[in-house]
Amino acid sequence: MRSSISASEPAAVAYAKGLAWICAILIIGLEVSSDYLLKHDSPTYARISQQYEQALKIRPAGTREPASVLMVGNSLLLRGVEMDRLKALTSSRMRIYPIFLEATGYYDWLYGLERLFRRGVRPEVIVVGVGVNYFLESGVRQDYVPMLFLDARDTLAVASDLNLDHTATSNLLLAHLSTFWDTRSAIRTQVLSRVVPHLQDLFSLIRPAPSIPQGREFDAIAIPRLQRLRDLCESYGAKLILLVPPTLSSENAVGQMASAAHRVGVDVSVPIDPAALSAKFYDHDGMHLNSEGALLFTSALAKDLPERVATGNSLVSRVQRRAPDPVSALSSLSTQRSLIGSDR
Amino acid sequence: MLFDSPAYFVFLIPVVLAYWCLDRRGQNIFLLLASYVFYGWWDWRFLALMICSTTMDFVIAQKIAPIGENANRKKWFIFSLLLNFSILGTFKYFNFFVDSFSAALNTMGIHNIPLPLIRVILPPGISFYTFQEVAYIVDVYKGRLEPAKSFFEYGLFVSLFPHLIAGPIQRPGHLLPQVQKERTFDADRFFDGLMLIFSGLVRKCVVADNCALLANAAFGGQFGPPNFWIVLIGTYAFAWQVYGDFSGYSDIARGSAQLMGFHFMVNFRQPFLAPRLQDLWRRWHISLSTWLRDYLYIPLGGSAGGKWKTFWNLLVTMVLAGLWHGANWTFVIFGAIHGVVLAIERHLWPASKPDGAAQPKPFAAFLSLWAQRILTFNIFCLSLAFFRSTSLNSAIEFLAGLSNFAWRSEYASAFLMLSLFSVPLFLVDLLLEASNQEYPFARASYAFRTGLATAAIVLLALFSGNTFNAFIYFRF
Repeated sequence: MRSSISASEPAAVAYAKGLAWICAILIIGLEVSSDYLLKHDSPTYARISQQYEQALKIRPAGTREPASVLMVGNSLLLRGVEMDRLKALTSSRMRIYPIFLEATGYYDWLYGLERLFRRGVRPEVIVVGVGVNYFLESGVRQDYVPMLFLDARDTLAVASDLNLDHTATSNLLLAHLSTFWDTRSAIRTQVLSRVVPHLQDLFSLIRPAPSIPQGREFDAIAIPRLQRLRDLCESYGAKLILLVPPTLSSENAVGQMASAAHRVGVDVSVPIDPAALSAKFYDHDGMHLNSEGALLFTSALAKDLPERVATGNSLVSRVQRRAPDPVSALSSLSTQRSLIGSDR
Repeated sequence: MLFDSPAYFVFLIPVVLAYWCLDRRGQNIFLLLASYVFYGWWDWRFLALMICSTTMDFVIAQKIAPIGENANRKKWFIFSLLLNFSILGTFKYFNFFVDSFSAALNTMGIHNIPLPLIRVILPPGISFYTFQEVAYIVDVYKGRLEPAKSFFEYGLFVSLFPHLIAGPIQRPGHLLPQVQKERTFDADRFFDGLMLIFSGLVRKCVVADNCALLANAAFGGQFGPPNFWIVLIGTYAFAWQVYGDFSGYSDIARGSAQLMGFHFMVNFRQPFLAPRLQDLWRRWHISLSTWLRDYLYIPLGGSAGGKWKTFWNLLVTMVLAGLWHGANWTFVIFGAIHGVVLAIERHLWPASKPDGAAQPKPFAAFLSLWAQRILTFNIFCLSLAFFRSTSLNSAIEFLAGLSNFAWRSEYASAFLMLSLFSVPLFLVDLLLEASNQEYPFARASYAFRTGLATAAIVLLALFSGNTFNAFIYFRF
């Protein structure tokens, strides 16, 4: 005998159906409204989409034109580079197109760059600057990235790379497809920030920074990633430069990263030796440069980057483009130490 | 498949719709297959282990039922217990015991002894379904239950997907008859099931996941070295996290089961309103605490053997309860703390009176009740430092911070955020305590409850984050 719902529909069933309709309407409403709010009220989205649109126009520079440089990174560059100043200082030698999204790391940009290449972006140089810990972190940002940086097939490839389970994979795919699902953390932060004072300070404190693996594990993670990123850039005719922004007490990690990059033939830019910057150049989190630090970093970057871009703005043999010895790269910065001083 | 993920609802909705189109036998087979799909979603290899375990217990149960003369009954019974606990022990505790043994040898100056380690992931829900199978075997052996005649029925009793991963641990005498008999569609209960699911989602995604941000930061050191305020933030936030998380899970499990005409036992009854720890354990993870009472504490002798024997039985039960939660000394200490406090309570209040919160009380009694509730809550929170920490050292270091009162302005924001998510749940608990209902406004009109569900969706939209925090009890 079949179990069935009685013919005279009780009130509970009618309300259950009503609830299903309400759910459907709310889901559609949330999707539409979050899309609207994102496009009209989100400074992050406005910045990224504008930068992204600009980047989509990148084509190889003609003869005597400054080299086109796509610079991608996270908040270390967003807060550490005075972009207008950098562009002004380097305008004769290169044209910089930045895309900076907070809390992004290696996988965000590996797939982000791949998608940009697929969409026809052809810079001569790619500069990736995410900091050592975010470069070695295994994860992707759960908001903005699935929607802006990934195609549907990329979400599956990311899931495979990160060994995500089915639940996390489907979540990532849904975040790619649905604006609401992608941005619900941002919605929560916006709502909470109206209720809890100094929420941003609290959140900056409670977000754990990825830890840096030690010893062999460092190289075991860093080297294949550098190779993969380099191969991706080269397959589209671009030179990869790994930009390592300073963070407090990160000199060992920066040295290791420079060494790993050197071994796989990736040019590495360390405009400022982290050991040369005292705590007074950082925000209280010890990660981000403050305005004084940003000024120094931008000046150093404006000096260092054009030289590296000039040495490799066309695809020449990898041997010729080998990065300088990281030890000498770091020691060449020793003069900065005496200029900047150290009060730690 | 996590209950708070869209994937679960993509799975649940067609399963429920298809389920009610089938006859009883079809429903059982369909649900068994759906439950195996649900479980295999993590890793199909774990599914093989569960099916093997289910099959063996099904076969053994036929041999141990007290029907006619069967000299080998006891042997089969012991064999089944050994088998079940061996599987659990191998997958969950083997490395823990090997590591502990190795550490003991090291302290005795014996080094470099090669000991085998098994590097496998803990199969999800193994502690839950093992306890359920053991309860079935014991009940059949004791003659309290007839062995299931159909493998599909027994298999469904073990693996019915709403309770499979993290309970509530279902008693065979409660769930098996439901599997075996016709289930009719009850519209009221169906609607209650929907409401329980919404209630559970809010508890998990709004309360637990937001409290988790603070608890993780406090225990993870992002607030800085532990001090009094960090310990307070960390333990309180974790208490509300684990409560919201597990009671939310239980609500979704019960609600999902109810959509298919099954009834699961209530797993939480406002535990933070308990005036004593003994009472808290009658309200917290009720399916586990009653299992431990019936299948461990009472067989050990319960309170029948005098005061000291009772204390010992309480301690053993709680230490094993702690160990059930995970293979780490932190859980053993967590259980031991509870065992000792329960023994002290038993000594101070030998005949525990029923909670009289619902009775009108004079003001002094009211104050006394709340003082006891606050004390019990704080004892529970402090013990959670061991539950949450990854090692005994880190738990002790964390609690050692209690003597340092250094204040930072961010703590105020943390306390405010904690209050924002814990106080509403606390108020809901007060409401449920006063009304003795399964979820808030359970007896209100359908229109009102529909509005409540709509409000729950809005809350979920506004306050749930992107990161999935797996249910804490999934790892047990």
